Amino acid sequence: MKKLLLSVLTVFVALSCAFTAQAGAKKKADKQTQAFRYDIEYVKTAGTGIVAVKVASYSKKAGIALNQCAKNAVHGVIFKGYAGNGTSMAALCKDPGAETAHSDYFKAFFAEGGEYNKYVSSVDTANSEFLKAYKEYKVSQVVYVNKAALRKALESAGIIKGLAAGF
Amino acid sequence: MKRTILSILLALSALTAFAQAKKPTIMVMPSDLWCNKNGFMTTYDNQGVTEYIPDYHKAIISSNELLPVISQINGLMADRGFPLKNLESEIKALNQTAAEMAAVTGKDGSSVQTNPLMQLRQRANADIIIQLTWTINKIGPKYSVTYTMQGLDSYTSKEIATSTGTGAPSFTAEVPVLLAEAVNAHIDEFCDRLQRHFEDLFANGREIALNVNVFENEEDIDLEKEYGDKELREVIEDWIYDNTVSHRYHLADDSEHHMTFDEVRIPVYDDRGRAISANNFARNLVRYLKGEPCSIAKIKTLNQGQGKATIIIGNK
Repeated sequence: MKKLLLSVLTVFVALSCAFTAQAGAKKKADKQTQAFRYDIEYVKTAGTGIVAVKVASYSKKAGIALNQCAKNAVHGVIFKGYAGNGTSMAALCKDPGAETAHSDYFKAFFAEGGEYNKYVSSVDTANSEFLKAYKEYKVSQVVYVNKAALRKALESAGIIKGLAAGF
Repeated sequence: MKRTILSILLALSALTAFAQAKKPTIMVMPSDLWCNKNGFMTTYDNQGVTEYIPDYHKAIISSNELLPVISQINGLMADRGFPLKNLESEIKALNQTAAEMAAVTGKDGSSVQTNPLMQLRQRANADIIIQLTWTINKIGPKYSVTYTMQGLDSYTSKEIATSTGTGAPSFTAEVPVLLAEAVNAHIDEFCDRLQRHFEDLFANGREIALNVNVFENEEDIDLEKEYGDKELREVIEDWIYDNTVSHRYHLADDSEHHMTFDEVRIPVYDDRGRAISANNFARNLVRYLKGEPCSIAKIKTLNQGQGKATIIIGNK
């Protein structure tokens, strides 16, 4: 009986540790997103308003870096801008202080399962690239972002100005 | 009480009307270069010199690339809350108006008055022209499109936004598809620049040019004639200083016979919320010069487009 209790306890502790480590890594990945620690590169325009970007995310856990790519893609389109293939595009949000000024909006927007998911059209998971260096993974993925819809959402939220603003 | 509420509602509706000011009109047109390369130019004899002008009507009915590109840009701009004027519809409307005017006769058989300047100005126009040029490149079996999109301010003829690029080469895609891809890829860049222009326009006013000339006249008025302790050209410059946004203008040249102002920043709207053109601004100057202290009776205003006007003092 004692052995059984010990085994259950051991499994419980092991699972808790794994869960805590996972949550910690996830939190760290979100912090890296906020600190712009990801790479974003233009791939192509894939139809009206949809842009394909290649995003590289970093984490000690490959799975977390992989999952973070979609969030980083949307974050990059909003705040970082991108270049590549002879094209360069400024970020949707030109004001460098916008993320802090609208911190409540963006906290909810980039939360797990948050609104950012609505603007990720698809993720090319079949061609993900994994690279391990200095005890962490660099995972690259091509993500399709519905930039037109994203812009409209930010305009409606009053975060960016529309072209017709002022008229 | 009811009256007070009604007054407040009326005041609010008036404020709303002011807030919804007129959007600048934008129209997409093929560039002169594209029209010339594709044989859509006409010529006319201008006092012995052959002048080339683009034949937009012929281009629209003949080119199978032009309409899809214009429609693509129109659609993308409409998504941004900026529906564009359609070149084809504008040309049709102009042709119809011209035909109707030609058919109108007075009871005594007289026709509607016109002049060459009026005919020249009655062409498809907008506040901002998006001028398109594209060339099709062929490398081996692959096709690609190099295109340039220029936003030109009709008021100043300055280029206010531009985007250019070459699309990815393709074995199979049709030219309109390649063009649509190129436009899709670069429209954001173009709109960003356009937005910066609008922001500048609201902050610093619309830019125009203004000329002041003098007719030979019996009253012997020239720009050095003194009114009080100032010469006429000083009176004019003072008025320009007082009526420009942040007093921004540049007096490029002046003498006793002419003054040339450029980079004159005029308010976008008047106190009733109407858009002000160079001609409106010049007419206000004329009204001022007709009053005290100058009291100049005869001044002609020459409308030279949305961004340029000339006033000629001393005759009508």
